[in-house]
Order: sequence, then structure tokens, then C-alpha cells
Amino acid sequence: MVKLFALVVCMVLGCGSLFPMYAEAQEKGLRRVSLLPQWIPQAQFAGYMAALEKGFYRDAGIDLELLQGGPGAPPFEMLAAGKATFCTCWLSSAIQERASGKKIVCLAQIIQRSSLMLVARPHIKVPEDLHGKKVGLWAGHFYLQPMMFFRKHGVAVEVVPNYSSEALFLKRGVDAMAAMWYNEYHSILNSGINPDELTVFFLHQSGPNFPEDGLYTIADTYEADPQMCKDFVAASLRGWQWAFEHEEEALDIVLKHANEAHTGSNRPHQRWMLNRMKDLILSPEQTGGMGKLNPKDYKYVGHTLKEHHLIEEIPAFEDFYQGQP
Amino acid sequence: MTKVFHSSVKLKITVLVWLGSLVVLGAVLSYSYAQTRRIILAEAKEVALNVTAAAANKVEQDFRAVQKVALNLALTLQSCGTDSNELELLTLLRGAVQKNAEVFGAAAAFEPHAFKADLISFAPYYYKTPNGLAYEQLGSQSYNYFQKDWYHVPKILNKPIWAAPYFDEGGGNILMTTYSVPFYKRNEDQSSEERSTENFRGIVTADVSLAWLNQVVESIPVGQTGYCFIISDTGTFVAHKNPKLVMRESVFSVAEERKSQSWRDVGRAMIREAQGFVDLRDELGDAAYLAYARIPSPGWVVGAVFPKSELLFEVVNLHKATVVMAIGGSLLLLLASLLVARSIAAPLRDMAAATDRIASGDLDIDLSDIKSTDEVGQLAQALTHMAAGLKERDFIRDTFGRYLTKEVVNRLLESKDGLRLGGESRDISMIMSDLRGFTAMTSSMKPEQVITFLNRYLAKMVDILIEFRGTIDEIIGDGILAFFGAPEPLDDHPARAVACAIKMQLAMNEINRINESDGLPHLEMGIAVNTGKVVVGNIGSEKRSKYGAVGSQVNFTGRMESFTVGGQILVSKATYDRLADSLVVNKVLQVEMKGVPGLVELYDVRGIKGSYNLQLPDRYTERVPLEEGIAVQIDLLDQKTVSSVEATGRITSVSPTSAVLIMEHQIRQWDDLRLRLIRDVHQHIQGDVYAKAVEVSKTDQGYRVVVRFTSLSPEVYAIFREATMRGTPERSS
Repeated sequence: MVKLFALVVCMVLGCGSLFPMYAEAQEKGLRRVSLLPQWIPQAQFAGYMAALEKGFYRDAGIDLELLQGGPGAPPFEMLAAGKATFCTCWLSSAIQERASGKKIVCLAQIIQRSSLMLVARPHIKVPEDLHGKKVGLWAGHFYLQPMMFFRKHGVAVEVVPNYSSEALFLKRGVDAMAAMWYNEYHSILNSGINPDELTVFFLHQSGPNFPEDGLYTIADTYEADPQMCKDFVAASLRGWQWAFEHEEEALDIVLKHANEAHTGSNRPHQRWMLNRMKDLILSPEQTGGMGKLNPKDYKYVGHTLKEHHLIEEIPAFEDFYQGQP
Repeated sequence: MTKVFHSSVKLKITVLVWLGSLVVLGAVLSYSYAQTRRIILAEAKEVALNVTAAAANKVEQDFRAVQKVALNLALTLQSCGTDSNELELLTLLRGAVQKNAEVFGAAAAFEPHAFKADLISFAPYYYKTPNGLAYEQLGSQSYNYFQKDWYHVPKILNKPIWAAPYFDEGGGNILMTTYSVPFYKRNEDQSSEERSTENFRGIVTADVSLAWLNQVVESIPVGQTGYCFIISDTGTFVAHKNPKLVMRESVFSVAEERKSQSWRDVGRAMIREAQGFVDLRDELGDAAYLAYARIPSPGWVVGAVFPKSELLFEVVNLHKATVVMAIGGSLLLLLASLLVARSIAAPLRDMAAATDRIASGDLDIDLSDIKSTDEVGQLAQALTHMAAGLKERDFIRDTFGRYLTKEVVNRLLESKDGLRLGGESRDISMIMSDLRGFTAMTSSMKPEQVITFLNRYLAKMVDILIEFRGTIDEIIGDGILAFFGAPEPLDDHPARAVACAIKMQLAMNEINRINESDGLPHLEMGIAVNTGKVVVGNIGSEKRSKYGAVGSQVNFTGRMESFTVGGQILVSKATYDRLADSLVVNKVLQVEMKGVPGLVELYDVRGIKGSYNLQLPDRYTERVPLEEGIAVQIDLLDQKTVSSVEATGRITSVSPTSAVLIMEHQIRQWDDLRLRLIRDVHQHIQGDVYAKAVEVSKTDQGYRVVVRFTSLSPEVYAIFREATMRGTPERSS
């Protein structure tokens, strides 16, 4: 009888010993989650880095782990594998993902317009001059918009795959290349080429103008704790706001993350990127506040994808977008 | 408080010299510094360009060696064709790495299935490690070599390229750059390869470790504070003393961060030109020079920064020292010029003071303190000499009055005896003159008129006397005593005296004309000329002396004078004897003189012939008879004063110079008379007449007296002239 009583007491005590940990976690209210950016640490993700450093996630009750993105970490795959809670990704890629049956949802649209551009040597003066020329394009999802641009202007180009850097373009292996306004364009400039020695075509001006980065998670995660997702978005946006208002400090944070990942970047490049982010995230084209996905944009992108047979049906907006209306 | 700033020679010299020296030194130093700087910098430029070119060349040699290895490998693989022996290949690669010190590693990366049909990727890679040679297969899950720039870019370009430097994590994990050479399928006839994407088989690479580059960079001599760096063909730092910049920053990112357009332009120039030299501000903001040279094969650039401060360190130091020396030198110069100025200014001040004393009459100045023999000393000597000369002249002036000419003074000063002027006996000629009736006439004149009148007369006479080199002994009122022949010896003194007397008489006409217009009486002068031995010398005392003549002949001349009438020159026998025929004699007078036995002969002279050739005009003394005559009151003048004698008479004929009187009272020849015209009873006509009786004769009507006028008042003169113009003249003597 005493042995049984002792066992019960031990069991109770044993169970009770679990309580403090759980209680601790409950007391703090911190939910442990992770964010995977779609590329290597750079000012493209300054908002999240800032929110992390300045404790905005913590304030919102979130213990965030910022994962290192890059070419070896495809965002949706990592989401599906459960290796990341949230990720960033392009709207067009996300729609394709959803349309293929993967239940991912959009929590916020961060970059409100396209930052894709075509950078060309000065002998190309108008889009039509690209006909028959070699153009360096990144593989995969990055083909669509430039191809639409070429078709719009009735040019047939020789597509040359471009992998990581501007070397092909700088060594004149191609006459033009696709570039992100906030990244490769500046790298080209800082290889010693002046803007007046280049011809540029901004896709957001000539079309197609696809909004780009957004915050995503799998539907299950959202349904399990929608408040947390909202808090996560709010903290992230707060991080972006802070980064825009505290440029030098934000750059310090970005460079810290970049150096940890040995990306070999420098301050002026990150500064350029941060300033372009400001232009893109606070874009005047947006209707409503920062981070909102405009249904019109959604329909436009979806429609274009369907036209190009990249998707069969456009997923329902209400199913796709779970962010601020 | 205002201070009057006296300009001083000392100050002027000192300040000007000092300022001048500073300006000159400043100019010289500035020029010297500028030129030296220019030369140094030019030399530095040359050295810098050479140094960077040498360094670039060194790097180039090593890069070329690596290139060669890769090119050879590629050629070999190409010639192999499709039959590929793995062992052969590996041996080849290994050998390439082992035998070539510059090569860090070498790989041969094949297109999918290009080596063996079943191999998607095949890229053997040998590289050096501290423990010896290592081997790796590059193709892996995490390292997709097909997408790497060193593979992809030369494949697209179809030509060998140097890759941008990178940290190669696939093998080595160090900073490297790679030379990639594409190789192709061999052509059927093995004559040439066709470089095209279809025939592309793979890439041969040879790696160069860039750690070695740092050694090159460090070995370039850039002085103490300079440094070197190497940038890639896109401006990225490949070697730099600050390792934080390597691979992370480029010249352009640095330029952007520092917002420097000039840096960006320099960067652009560096990657475009073969060689260059620019003046720029480096990171610290100090002026520096940048020399750069291209490493041709990879298109990288070696740059060397030379801070100007170091280049010019020696020059600046030298010039600092020179500036100090210059300032010191100029201070010494200042001191020297002060001394010189003082040696000029002090004597000048002394001389100015002495000159002031001279001006106030004190001619005893002592400038013996000024001992120098330069211009200042000469001036002092001249001043002393001047004071002595002034003293002499004062003496002469005091002695002789103002009437000796410069030549006379000089001649006297030259002869030692001249100045002593003790008495000596000399044969001279003397003249004595005075105005007839002057004293009496002026007794009724205003004092100012007297002086005006007298000085006008004297001025003229003195001028004439000076002209004839006469010595004026005395001027008493209207009378002049002058002599010729002393102190200046004059051989023709008798002729001179006579000629002078004639000229003086001629001058009276002009004087009278002026007098008439001033309302002053018509006056006449009488002159006596004598020649004889007298004693001449300085008469008086040291305090007051004059040069004069004494002796009986002087007295005689005075006595002669009293016999003259207006307009007359009486010459003594002694004088006449000397001149004889050269004189134009009007008449000879024989007079009695008190104390002289017998009669004295006096000659009335009207002209002199010969070298002087002067003549008095004939005086028309024709008297005009007056029908009615003019009543006159006659007073006798005794010793030039009027004695009251109530005598009357009548003028029966008159001329401007003489008249005939009929009177009861007896007077003697040579008596001086005063006549007053009576018109109507008891009414005198204004104006007196002064005359001398020259002829007295008794007639039945009374005494007939011929008088010569010595002074006529203007009113009377006018009356007589009117009378003479009306009447017909009669001859007179």
C-alpha cells in the first residue's frame, strides 16, 4: 500500500515536473516559428532581420528563427517538408504552387510591383533592337515575364541561361540580361559601367508588372493559429517600417546577417537594395496599406499564368489570400 | 591721442630694405619650392609608373604561365578525340599541377556524357595542399559545376576567360581565380577545331591562388606610407592592405560609400587604360598620387598609392629650413640696414640743425663729428664750406655794401690782400653828385613822397654806378660819392668816371618824366668829376666798417660840386689832363675856391668819345622874351636856407632851364635864389623856383641877372613852358 502511494506520488511529481516547462512556455506565450527567405541574406529581407533584432516578433509573442535562404533552399519545398513555418516567395510562383494543388496561403504582399528589368548594351536602343540578340535569363520562373516582354514587342531572342552573376553580360557574352532592379543592376553599375552606358527596360513600366515578394505559409499552419500568423505579419511590417526609418542601423543588421552567411556583400550595395525596397514596398501603386494584396493584381497575374498555360485554373482569391483585406 | 608721425630716412631705408628683402626671398623660395615640388613629383610619377608596370608585368608572367598550362591541357584533350583514357587524363592533370609552381590546381570538367556516355558529370580536379597533392571530383549535389561562371561563361563565349576571383568551396576553399579554356570535339580532318556550342566538350581549368598576389603587392616599393592594391576587371579589390576590402568591395563601392565621383572616374579609368597616373585624395583625405598598370591577361590592374606628404617630405623639410634661414637672414639684413640708415640719418639731422642755425644768422657751425668720406661726409664738408663762404660774403657785404659784383668779390677773395683792405694810397677818379634844390623842395613834401622820390632817383643812379664798376663810398640824402679804381683796379678810371657821370645825367630825363606824371617837381642834378691820389681802405671798426676814400682830393671834389648847376658835369683839370681830346667840352669855368690860390679851371663836359662814346644832348636853352614879364619875389638862399630878403624883380625872358631877371637888389654870381611868381598884386602863384645866379651885370634898369633853374615846381614849369611856346626865342649862353 505504501509502495503504491509512493508510486502515485512519484508519478504525480513526475508529471508535475513537466508542468513548469510547459507553464513557462505558456507564461511567456512565445510561439516558436521560423521564416525562410527565398534568397541569401540581403537587404531584400531587411524588414524581417530588423523585426528580429529589435524584438518586434518577441513583442508579438513570437520566437522567430530566421533561416538562411539561397539556391539550395527552395522555399515551398522547405515549407512542405516542415523545415520552415513561413517563407517569402513571388506571387506568380505562389499561384502556380496553389494551382498545382499545394495548399499554401498568402499572408501578405510585400513587394507591390515588379522590380524586373532588362539591362542592355547601348547599341540596343528600343526593345525591337533585341531581335535576334542573345539575352541572359535566369532559369525557371524567371522566364515568364521577359518572354512576355519579348512577345509584346514582337522580338525573337536567343535565350542564354544565366546562373549567378553578371559575368556573362559584363564579358559581352550576351547583349542583354534580366536583372533585379534592387540587385544585379547595381552590381553592374558598380563594375564600372555608368547608367548612360546602358539601356534599361523596366518591366513594371512596359509590362508585365507582377508584384513579387510576399509572405506565405501552409494552410494548416494558418488554420491552426490564424492570430499568430497575423501577429507575424504585423511584426514583419513593423520591422520594414523601422528599417526604412533607421537606414544606417538597419544596414548594420543586414550586414551582420550577410557576413554570417559569407555572402561577401558591402554596405553601399545593401544601401541601394534597402532604398529600392522602400520604393517597391511603399510603392504608390499600392492601394490600401503596406502588405496588402490587391485582388486586381491577383487576377492579373493569375490570368496571365493561365493564358500561358502555366496553370489550368486560377485559384480562388479567398482561399489564397489570408492577409489584410 | 594723435601722434604726428615724422617720416624718417632711417625708417624708410629700414622698412623698404626689409620688405624688399622679404618679397625677394619670398618669391625666390616660392619659386624654388614650386619647382622642386614639380621635379620631385615628376620623378615620383616616373618611378611610380615604372614600379607598377614592373609589378603588373611580374603578375602577368605568372598568369601567362598558368594560361599556358591550361591551354596546353585543352589542346591535348582536344587532340585526344573521343577515346578517353581516365588514367591518362588524371596523369596529365596531376603532372600539370605538380610541375607548375604557379598552378594551384587544375581540372578538366566535361559536358554531360562528353567523357563517358554513362557519366552525366565528370570533373577531376587536382590541387595542392600542405600535405601534398589532393584529388577531387567536382561534380556533386551541392556543387553544380555546369552553372558556375568558370564553366558556363567560357562555354557561351567560346573562348578562354579568366574568371572573377572567388572563394571556391568546391575544392580548396581559398581565394582563387581560374583560367578556363573550352575544348571541343576534334574536327574530322584534324586541321582545326570548330568552336561552337555543338562541338563543345568541356572546360579545362587552371587555378591560381591569390594569396601569392598579396606577396607581390607587399613587395612593391611605395615608401613608408604608400600602399598597393590590385583590382579585378570589374574593380573588385583582389589584394589590399585592408583585408576587409578584398572581394567584398570594389573601387566603385568605395566611391559610392564616400560619395566621390572622382574616385569612380579614377576606377573607370583604371579598368580601361593600360597605364595611368592621377592626383587624388585617398581615404584619409590627404593628397596622394595613384599610379596604375594593367595586367593584360586577366584585365586586372595594379595600383600604387603614394601620399604626397611622404613624397614631398624631404622637400618640405628643406624648405622649412630655408624659410627659417631666410627669415633669419632678413632679420640680419634688417639690422644692417638699421645701422646704415642710422649712419645716414644722424649726420643728416646734425646738418639740418646746423643749416637752421645758419638761417638764423649763426654761421659758426661745427660738423667735425661727421668723419665719413662718403656722400654724407661730402655734404657735411660742403655745408661747412658754405657756412665759411657765407661768412666771407657777409664780411664783404658789410665792408663794401651791396654794390660789388660777384666777379669783384671773387677777385678780391682770390687775392689774399684784397680782404685785408688796410689803407693804401691809390690813384683813383671820383664823382660827387647831388640834386639841386632837393632839400628845400622836400621840406614841404610828405615823408612817403620824399622816400619814394629819393629811392627812385637813387635806384637808377646806383644801377649806373654798378654798371661802370664804381665803388659807392657814401650816399647822404640826395648826394652820392663814388669812386672808380678801388678796390678793383681799373686802368681807365678817369674815362669811366666821366662816362658814368654822363650816363647819370642822361638818366635824369627819364626820372623827371616819371616825376612829372606823379606831380613831383622837375629836378636837375649836378656832378663833379675829379682824379687824384687818395687813401683807400676799411674805415671804421670790426663792428661797423665801410670801404672808403679819404684825402684832400676828396674834399676838392666836393668843393667843385658846389659850382655845378643842374644838368652840368664839371670835370677837374686833373681829370681833363688824363682824357684831353676824348672829352667834348662845352666851356671852361675859372672859379675862385676858398683856400686854393689862384683860379681853378673847371671843364663843363658834354660828352666823351672813344670806347664809351656818350654825349649829352644840346640843351636848347633859348630864352623867350616875355613882353610883359613876370613879377617875382626874390629870396636869397644862404647855405640852402632862405634868408628873409624882400626883393622883387621881373623875369624878362625865360627858358625851361634859365631866365633873365631884372632887379634892384644886388646879388653876387653863384648866389642861390628862391623865386616866387607874383601874379596880380600880392598874390603868389603856387610853386617855388630855385635858381643859381650865373651871370650878374649892372644895367640902367638895375641888375641883370641870368639865373639857371635848379628846381621848378610843376605849376611854374608849366607857366614858363607856355610862355616860351608863345614867344620867339633869343639866344642865350
